[in-house]
Amino acid sequence: MLAVIGPGIITANVDNDAGGITTYSVAGAHYGYTLLWMLPLVALALIIVQEMSARLGVATGKGLADLIRESMGIRITAIIIGLMLIANLANTVSEFAGVAASMEIFGVSKYVSVPLAAVGVWLLILKANYKSVERVFLLASALYLAYVASGILANPPWEEVGRAAVTPSFHFEAGYVAIFVTVIGTTIAPWMQFYQQASIADKGLKAADYAYERLDVIVGSLFAVLVAAFITIACAATLHTNGVRIETAKDAALALRPLAGSYASTLFALGLLNASIFSAAILPLSTAYVVCEAFGWESGVSRSWKEAPVFFGLYTAFIMLGAAIILLPIKSLIQAMLASQTLNGVLLPVILVVMLRLVNDRRVMGRFTNGRVANVVSYGIVAILIALTGILLVTSVAPGVLGNG
Amino acid sequence: MAFISELLGRPVAEADGRRIGRLIDLVASVHSGIPHPKIVALVVKRPGSPLVVPFSDVAVLIAPAIPLTKALAEIIPYQPGEHDLYLARNVLDKQIIDTNGMRVVRVNDLELARVNGWFYVANVDIGTLGLLRRLGLARLARRVAGHAGRGPLPGVIPWDAVELLPGDEVMHLRVPGDKIAELHAADLAEILSDLSRSESGRLLESLDVKTVADTLEEVEPDFQVSLIQSMSDGKVADVLEEMAPDEAADLLAQLPEDRSKELVELMEREEAENVRRLLAYREDTAGGIMTTDFVAVHASLTAEQTIRTLREIAHEAETIFYVYVTDDDNRLVGFFSLRELILAQPETPIAEFMERRVVTVRLLDPQEKVAQVVAKYNLLAVPVVDDRGWLQGIVTADDALDKIIPTAWKKRLPRLYH
Repeated sequence: MLAVIGPGIITANVDNDAGGITTYSVAGAHYGYTLLWMLPLVALALIIVQEMSARLGVATGKGLADLIRESMGIRITAIIIGLMLIANLANTVSEFAGVAASMEIFGVSKYVSVPLAAVGVWLLILKANYKSVERVFLLASALYLAYVASGILANPPWEEVGRAAVTPSFHFEAGYVAIFVTVIGTTIAPWMQFYQQASIADKGLKAADYAYERLDVIVGSLFAVLVAAFITIACAATLHTNGVRIETAKDAALALRPLAGSYASTLFALGLLNASIFSAAILPLSTAYVVCEAFGWESGVSRSWKEAPVFFGLYTAFIMLGAAIILLPIKSLIQAMLASQTLNGVLLPVILVVMLRLVNDRRVMGRFTNGRVANVVSYGIVAILIALTGILLVTSVAPGVLGNG
Repeated sequence: MAFISELLGRPVAEADGRRIGRLIDLVASVHSGIPHPKIVALVVKRPGSPLVVPFSDVAVLIAPAIPLTKALAEIIPYQPGEHDLYLARNVLDKQIIDTNGMRVVRVNDLELARVNGWFYVANVDIGTLGLLRRLGLARLARRVAGHAGRGPLPGVIPWDAVELLPGDEVMHLRVPGDKIAELHAADLAEILSDLSRSESGRLLESLDVKTVADTLEEVEPDFQVSLIQSMSDGKVADVLEEMAPDEAADLLAQLPEDRSKELVELMEREEAENVRRLLAYREDTAGGIMTTDFVAVHASLTAEQTIRTLREIAHEAETIFYVYVTDDDNRLVGFFSLRELILAQPETPIAEFMERRVVTVRLLDPQEKVAQVVAKYNLLAVPVVDDRGWLQGIVTADDALDKIIPTAWKKRLPRLYH
C-alpha cells in the first residue's frame, strides 16, 4: 500500500505553493473569517476532481494530454495545451514571485534571488535524482504545520470561526468575486490534474490498487484544505483583527507571530521559499512533458539535448520567461501571485469539461465511468465556476451593475 | 495523393446532390496479403446513427463534397468485419510502432494513394508537417515543405513498416506482432521502454514466449519485474524456461520470495533445477552470474563423436565456442575451442588436442575477479568449478564484464522525471 500512496498527497502539497499561501493569507487578512464557508465546499470539489483524475489515470494507464489527443483529436488538444501553457506560465511567474517575496524578507533583492533560483532550479532537475528532491520537499512541507500551530495559538474566537464556516455570504463586488475565483483556482489548479494523472499512469497502478489510490487522493486533498483553512484563520486572527492589509510578504508573515514571535518572518519566508522552489521546478518540467506527450515529441530528462530538443527547449524557456517577467518592475508581487491563481480559476471549467467528457466515455473508461451523482456534482461545479467568471468580468468592467458594489 | 485529415469533415452528398452528412471516418480492410489497407467504406455522420457507405457507392472521393452513386434509400450499409480498421478512430492520433526506425511514434496523418480505382493507405505521417496540416495550417505546411526541397518528406513512414499497438478493443489484424517478432530483442526492448506501462504489458501479451524471453534479457531487472506484472503465472513460468538460466535466476531474485518459489514450481523440472542451483549463490559471485548452459563431453570421445554429440546437445548452450572436457567424475580435465575441433581429423581423440591447463574460477569468487580473469586471458568464457574441481557452470565474457561496466545500455524502467 505504501507503494501506491504518493501522487495524491504530493499533488495536494504542491497545491499549497506560493500562489496558494498568498491567496489564503489574503483571504484571511482582508475578509476575516467570512470566506471560511467556502473551504469545506472547495475541499469537496477538490476531492471529486482529483478522484476523477486519478480514476482516469488508473483506468487508462495514460496521462491526461495523451488521452485528450487520442480521444478528442488534435484541434482540441492544441487549444487545451495552448490554454495550459498560458496558465502554467502565469503560475511559474507566481512561483518566482514567491521566491522573490520570501527572499525580500531576508533583505535580498529580487534581482539577485530570482536569477539564482532560476539557474538553481534548472540545474536541479537536470542533475538531481527526482525522487530525492521530492522527498526533501515533502519533509520540508512539514513547515505548513506551523500555520496550524499559529492558528491555534492566536486564540481566535472559535465560536465565530465555527459559525463562519457554515454561513455563506456573498457580495457582488469585483474584489470579492475575484478572491472567490482565486481561492478555487489555487486549490484546484488545472496543471495539477495533468501532473497527478501522469504520476499515476507512470506508477502503473492497476484497478486493484484503485481503492488505496482513492484513499491517497482523499487524504491528500483534506490535508491541503486543512492547511489552507489554518492559513486563513491565522491571518484572520492576527492581521484582519488589526486591520493589516497584505501588501508584501512581510505583512503575511506577521500571521505567524503567535507561534514564532519575532521569528515569524523567518519561518514564513522559509516555508514560502520551499514551496516556491519546488513548484518552480515541477511546473516547467510538467509542462514540457505534457506538451511533448500531446504532440509526440521526444521527452525525458535522461535524454540528450539533441534527442529531445523541444522538451529541453520548452523547459528552459519556461524557467527563463517566468524569472524574466518577475524581474520587470512590478509594483506588487502579491498582486502578481493572486492574478495567476485567478487565471487558474477561469481556465478550470475548460479542463473540467474535457475531463468529464473523457470520464463519461465508456470506450475510454470501461467500467470506470462516472456515476450519476458524480456527474451532477461535477457539472454543477463547472456551472458555478463559469457563472463566477462571468460575474467577475461584469463586476470588473461595470461595477455596481449587479447590486451592492 | 490525399491526406485523410483533408478528407475528414467534408460533406457527403447522395446521387441527386442532396447533402446527407459529413465524413467522419474511413473503414479500411487489413487483409493479410495486401501490405497496405484498402479503403472499403466511408462513415458518414447523420442525425441518428452514422451510416457506413460501401466504397463502391462512392463516385469520387477526392472532391470538396463527396458525391455518391446512389440515392440514400438505395444504399446498403457496409458491415465492418474482423479485418476492418476504422482509420480515424483506431489509427489517427494513436501511438504506433515504427519497425524501420525501431521507435514508438504518434500518427499525425495518413496519406492515401489511388491504385486502380481503389484507395490505399500508403504512408503514415508522424512528423511536424502532419501536425500543422491537421491544425488547418496546411498552406504553411506546404510552404515549409517547399523550402525543404524535393525528395521524401521528413517524418513519413510507409505503412508496411507500421505495427499497431494492441488496443483495448481487440483489433483482428494480421497476427499481431509478426513484424515485431522479427525485430532484434534489443530494439524491441527500446520500444517497450517508450511505451506506457499498460501498453507495454499489452504488447508483451501478444508476443510469443521466445520473443518475450529474448526481450526481457535486454532490460534491467527492475524493468523485467514491472513487465511481467501483467502476465499470468503460467506464461511467466514459460518465459523463465525460455530464458537463459542465469537471466531467469536474476529475474527471480528480484521478486518476493514466495512469488519466486511459486514460479519455480511451475517451471519444468530440469529448468527449475538449474535455476534453483543458480539462485543459491550470491549475485556478486561467480556462482551468481554463471549459466549452466554449457557443453561438456567425456574425455574418451573423438573429434567426430564430439561433433555428433554437439549436434544433439548444443541447442540450448549459451556458447559452444569452447567445449569442456570432463572425466568420469565430472571433473573438468580440459577444454578446446570449436576451431580446434573443426580443424582436427575426425578420428583424433580429443584428449590429444585439448588444452589441459584450464583457467577456472571458483563458485564463490567475486565477480570482479571473474572479470579480471576473462580480461587477462582474453577468454570468451571461463568455467566455474567447485572445490572438487567439478564443472558447475560457465561465465561468458559479456556477463562477466556486464557487472563491471555500468549497464547504461540496457533499458531502464521508464519513469517520469527520471
